[in-house]
Amino acid sequence: MTFRARSALVAIVITLAIAYLPARSNDAGIMNAAVLDTTDGQKIFEEVCQGCHMNGARGAEGAGHYPALANDPTLASREYMALTILKGRRNMPAFGEKHAIGFGGPPATLSEEQIAAVINYVRSHFGNNYTDKITAADVHALDQDAH
Amino acid sequence: MSASQRPAMSRRQLLTMIGLSAGSSVMYQAMHSLGFAADSSFQDPIRLGSAPPGASVLVLGAGIAGMVAALELRNAGYRVQLLEYNGRAGGRNWTLRGGDKYQELGGEAQECRFDEGLYINPGPWRLPYHHRGMLSYCKRLGVALEPFIQINANAYLHSSKAFGGKPQRLRAVKADFHGHVAELLAKATRSNALDAEVSADDRALLLDSLQFWGALDKDFKYVKGAGSSDRRGFSKDPSGGLSARPEFSEPISTHDLLKSGLWAGLPFTDMYDMQPTMFQPVGGMGRVGEAFARELGTLIRYNAKVIDIAQDERGVTATYVDAQTGANRQSAKADWCVCTIPLSILDQIPMNVGGPMQKAIAAVSYCTSVKVGLQFKRRFWEQDERIYGGVTYTDLPIGQISYPSSNYFSDGKGVLLGAYIWDLLNSYEFTSLSPAERVAKAVEYGAQIHPQYKTEFDNGISVAWHRVPSALGCFALWSDALRAEHYDNLCQLDGRIVLAGEHASYLPAWQEGAVTSALDAISRLHRKALAAGAKA
Repeated sequence: MTFRARSALVAIVITLAIAYLPARSNDAGIMNAAVLDTTDGQKIFEEVCQGCHMNGARGAEGAGHYPALANDPTLASREYMALTILKGRRNMPAFGEKHAIGFGGPPATLSEEQIAAVINYVRSHFGNNYTDKITAADVHALDQDAH
Repeated sequence: MSASQRPAMSRRQLLTMIGLSAGSSVMYQAMHSLGFAADSSFQDPIRLGSAPPGASVLVLGAGIAGMVAALELRNAGYRVQLLEYNGRAGGRNWTLRGGDKYQELGGEAQECRFDEGLYINPGPWRLPYHHRGMLSYCKRLGVALEPFIQINANAYLHSSKAFGGKPQRLRAVKADFHGHVAELLAKATRSNALDAEVSADDRALLLDSLQFWGALDKDFKYVKGAGSSDRRGFSKDPSGGLSARPEFSEPISTHDLLKSGLWAGLPFTDMYDMQPTMFQPVGGMGRVGEAFARELGTLIRYNAKVIDIAQDERGVTATYVDAQTGANRQSAKADWCVCTIPLSILDQIPMNVGGPMQKAIAAVSYCTSVKVGLQFKRRFWEQDERIYGGVTYTDLPIGQISYPSSNYFSDGKGVLLGAYIWDLLNSYEFTSLSPAERVAKAVEYGAQIHPQYKTEFDNGISVAWHRVPSALGCFALWSDALRAEHYDNLCQLDGRIVLAGEHASYLPAWQEGAVTSALDAISRLHRKALAAGAKA
């Protein structure tokens, strides 16, 4: 299978995965077969990012910590956030299709459009009030620049 | 390919199924061509020799790697102390039993409400026969082992999109897939299509072998009859007396079988890490960590959260605080340090090692993984479906259902592993749910395979590894490129500090990786300590 075809397949599966959303905000879709559009930043946050960054993006602390994204001054740079999601940063896994690492099979990835959507969502919620937006094209351009 | 031709499972799902079944290095071996040793590097038993007089070692983390290191270094004469974040030993070697309490990151607390003797292992749960290090320590520490049933011909392969969602017995899928492939290959052979590849002498042997392997009839056909039913099972089993006559079962057609994608579940029964005989400790995998802890006794200081690791020309100092309160700052000092703290956490602890090791520590993220344990009012999988141990694989988000490999035929309640997933988005999604919602989802999906769930479910507990406070992830997620750049730098002795754990092995997620990593690390540490002399 070509990379392009695999990417398309991965994208389809992610679409399947993120798409189905019952009423409750954190009652995840979990790979449901229903196919819907996927570019809702809130849904992506609640079904993927929230696993570590926690409800309300408040972060958590144990033997180590997960950074809170609420009231987060580092989010001033949407590029920083995009690169972090694309390529991963320290314990945070990469979600970019070119960078994500699978264990046995293709890994979970987010499309450039989904990455842009979740960035725009987080940067305008949880006490963050950044008004500038990032687009899928911006994310794509960053992925070309960053190696 | 068109939608109608597309298998009911996507390639990704098939790979997932294989990956879930392998769970391990096997897929790495298959897909990434890593340089695996043919067997564990373990040499039984390790003989370090004698420590330099007065030499001391600080071990950080009382998981399998840390406790192997501590045990062997102590036996060699080193003064050893361990610091452990949790209030128990074992690390990811861990069993949840009735009465156990567990609070995950984010604050949600669960209490396991399983009956006496029932448990789940949130982390490792099985020991391949060739993981000689783990088996050796079990024997040395008196941990009783029993067979772990990985492969059960009467368990299911299930696709929600094939056969109307009806699960198929593994034996039937396997027999039919082999039968159809054998028939096709025999047909090609007999029509001389393979004459260029198969000599005249081999041709007859090949046909004989295909006939036997695929349960083909005298005409080299795979058909309903005694031959195929002897592999896939009967629709009415043979018995005695007047009602003795068996009824043969109907094989699944080649087309339906290929289209179902269930053949993707077959290769794992042949995978090295999954082959019989596998073992499990009687009473739960946590018995191993518990046995190490008994052996090491007061050498382990619990509830110690390491916040700084510093070395100089004279020794290593770890600063730690109370894991619960963050107060009571103390320090522990030794000549040397074996650090087994997962990289997910170590990356956040200041430690003055060289740049290459720092970069290696920061380069590796940790895989997501979720397990759900479900207690049912009775062992319906045995009583109704004659499934005794083994694993059912499914394309549903729960990934698999595993049946207990002990206490068969017992009355009373039983516990299933109701979900075991990693890596894929469903694993992130399960992690994002509350513990109770994970359990509810596992019941909801599992009921599609076992309708008895609806009436027999009793209670459940779930562990999402990214939310485990002492781990922040399940295991180190290496790629070939990351290994090439960082692996050796991670494993090198840096001054007085050496790292160990599954993250410092080519056996990610397996305890054997922790054992062999620790033994390799302490061997190198010991040589350096001897070279440094008595006054370290």
